[in-house]
Amino acid sequence: MSKTAALNPSCQLVVIGAGPAGLAAATTAAKLGVDTVLLDEQPAPGGQIYRAITETPVTKRSILGMDYWHGAELVTAFRSSGARHVPGTTVWSVTREGEIGFSVGGAARLIEAERIILATGAQERPFPIPGWTLPGVMTAGAAQILLKASGMVAEGRVVLAGTGPLLWLLAAQYLRAGGRIVTVLDTTPPANRRAALPYLPNFLGSDYLGAGIALLREVKARVPVIGDVRSLRLLGENRVREVVYQSGTAPERRIGADLVLLHQGVVPNLNLANAIGCRQEWHEDQLCFVPVIDAWGTSSIERVAIAGDGAGIAGARIAAERGRLAALEAAHRLGRIDAYRRDAEAVAPRRAITRFDKGRRFIDLMYRPRAEHRVPQGDTLACRCEEITAQQIVEAVKLGSTGPNQMKSLLRCGMGPCQGRLCGLTITELIASARGVSPADVGYFRLRPPIKPITLAELASLPKSEAAVQAVVRG
Amino acid sequence: MPAPETSPPLFDVAVVGGGLVGTAIAWGLARQGQRVAVLDEGDVAIRPSRGNFALVWLQSKGLGMPAYAAWTKHSTDLWTGLAAELREETGIDVAYERRGGFQLALSEAEVAARAAMQRRLHSQPDMVVYPYEMLDHDAVARMLPAIGPEVAGGSYCPLDGHCNSLRLLRALHTGMQRRGARYLPEHRVEHIDPQAGGFRLRHQKGELHAGKLVLASGIGNARLAPMVGLAAPVRPQRGQIVVTERLRPFLPYPVATIRQTDDGTVLLGDSQEEAGLDDSVGSEVTAVIADRAVRMFPRLAQANVVRSWAALRVMTPDGFPIYDESQTAPGAFLATCHSGVTLAASHALALAPMLAGGSLPAQMRAFTARRFDVPPTA
Repeated sequence: MSKTAALNPSCQLVVIGAGPAGLAAATTAAKLGVDTVLLDEQPAPGGQIYRAITETPVTKRSILGMDYWHGAELVTAFRSSGARHVPGTTVWSVTREGEIGFSVGGAARLIEAERIILATGAQERPFPIPGWTLPGVMTAGAAQILLKASGMVAEGRVVLAGTGPLLWLLAAQYLRAGGRIVTVLDTTPPANRRAALPYLPNFLGSDYLGAGIALLREVKARVPVIGDVRSLRLLGENRVREVVYQSGTAPERRIGADLVLLHQGVVPNLNLANAIGCRQEWHEDQLCFVPVIDAWGTSSIERVAIAGDGAGIAGARIAAERGRLAALEAAHRLGRIDAYRRDAEAVAPRRAITRFDKGRRFIDLMYRPRAEHRVPQGDTLACRCEEITAQQIVEAVKLGSTGPNQMKSLLRCGMGPCQGRLCGLTITELIASARGVSPADVGYFRLRPPIKPITLAELASLPKSEAAVQAVVRG
Repeated sequence: MPAPETSPPLFDVAVVGGGLVGTAIAWGLARQGQRVAVLDEGDVAIRPSRGNFALVWLQSKGLGMPAYAAWTKHSTDLWTGLAAELREETGIDVAYERRGGFQLALSEAEVAARAAMQRRLHSQPDMVVYPYEMLDHDAVARMLPAIGPEVAGGSYCPLDGHCNSLRLLRALHTGMQRRGARYLPEHRVEHIDPQAGGFRLRHQKGELHAGKLVLASGIGNARLAPMVGLAAPVRPQRGQIVVTERLRPFLPYPVATIRQTDDGTVLLGDSQEEAGLDDSVGSEVTAVIADRAVRMFPRLAQANVVRSWAALRVMTPDGFPIYDESQTAPGAFLATCHSGVTLAASHALALAPMLAGGSLPAQMRAFTARRFDVPPTA
């Protein structure tokens, strides 16, 4: 609390999120003399990808892999940059006017920023299959957080199911840390190979190729991997007991499981950007919404830039470079550097982006998850907070509900504790599928502050103008 | 080849607007055996019906227009029947409760202002008679034990109540479609031509013909009304609302600015701001809302806020509804108000039969927009 008490009520630049993009943005801006504050939810810098980089109990470097330790360089540079770091912060509101509402240690604060860089990263794509809300089912990302932060791996029979490059990274990290995985169920549709093939030559030049192949080999040497998995269902009374699936056209099979880890890629975490009103558009290759930004990351709201995976999934290395570009533009607009210097300093980040972007299209197309694993059916839950099933959504579409916002008022989907932060994509894709149109035509939830829950006492403690009192009190 | 929607189907009535006002009227018309089309905009539109406070409220309404007080009371009297009928017809429980409601004051000055307002309201000529009382802190505490020491008193009216307005919207949508009304989303009406025997509506997907026309599109009425010789001098007025996580029931009666829903969440409202079409939410106003709520019910301090939002009320210059029929284009009607929940029963069960009959009776004349045509020198 002492840290926020010392914080000025205004500054030139606020960066939200201390993953690779946020760390690089804050470092770059502060070194150019911009008065910079970095707000982050975690107690220590690193974001999700470099989570607990400074304090993880997993000290054997090979377990988490060399890519993870790259984060340490970003943290070191940040610490000497002069930017102020406010950890343990929940940002619950950002307005177009640049007012940021956040809480630290149970106290709400406001800070005004001339410019804002959102570096809120990615979140896992929902995996709404039958049984996905049973106890004993968690996302692979959540398991990875437990591993990084506390060195924990689960006991019992662990089944890992899904698709995407991170699935293999997690499997490898888990095995290296002494975890046991009974089976990996690879849900990647084989047909993806054909779509991705034209982009293979480009991928062959990728820095990620060698590492990716090594990961696959490492996992396959130690765990049976079943390919072309479809019709995935999770069964159990009070917790998950069994995984049911089909592989290709083979008959249905069952395996016992105590813990099922699901993962089918990551999508931009747009919750804050959406609530501010930044425009977003549908990305057909990545099957998610991405914000509309210019070459510096500036969003449709001039004051707000978006960097990192929150601007479109591209990986940690590109995230850091995009953070640098957004910071250069911020420094320019704040009068710290002229356009010539901005452009000159942007050459190296842009070159790095070109390099690390090799093969992105291949990866996007290769790991597009199956429709049946994205669009639930029947009584499978689409919105877990309000327990709204896929069937209820489909029926409301028949009633004339054309988009998620009307759906929200008809069914309360997206109105529970998660406020649509987790189910948004599922609801949009489900409505699109029921209407037979693209998610681009359906749109997304219009999210509202607070983006994270705060108590009424915290909200009540904020400054109130006479005009605001007049607007509420009446005779 | 034209899409099926562009070939003109014949409807007795076209209702423009798929919010609470439009669907209540459409349900009522369908219930009268009329063939109804409801033309609505899409997923993102100005929709106060998605953001209202869900009170079915009588006390303090009608100062300056006793006819509005009477119309409102009539609606609250019809509400029990509306809820029962919707439940039977659609299986949807709109959770209507009429146990009475409070308006709470946080100082003696607020108590005095409230009492004076009630006196002026009820001493108007032709004012409808209904029970209400002013209560001091202890009397309020006997009915609302959770109030804090800062509550100086309040007013209570036994006819007030509340409902689940999102379920009301769903029930009206479901009910009107069960009764054969056709709901047409993404049919924003661009132009209306009165013609022999009815109206031609040009919308974003084509055209639609209907014998009669009901404009119930809230703020949109301002644009559409002049096309059929009507006027709708309405403006948006922003109201911000804050909602908490689900809490154990602690509030047996709704308060004008605080109510616990049947889901357990607590709604805190609501501001009155002139902000044009800006429906953004700001911490200054929500801080006042939160502060007053915590002072009224201290136990709310630790409740988590999960969402806040702003909705745009449809306000007329005097704040009262407009119900009107066109002199130049017979068969064209207009309905607009900022109390689509409270008045839903009147709209469905009283207004719709009048519209089905083809004209507004004398008792509705007080609500014409011509009341705003005051000579400038008067």
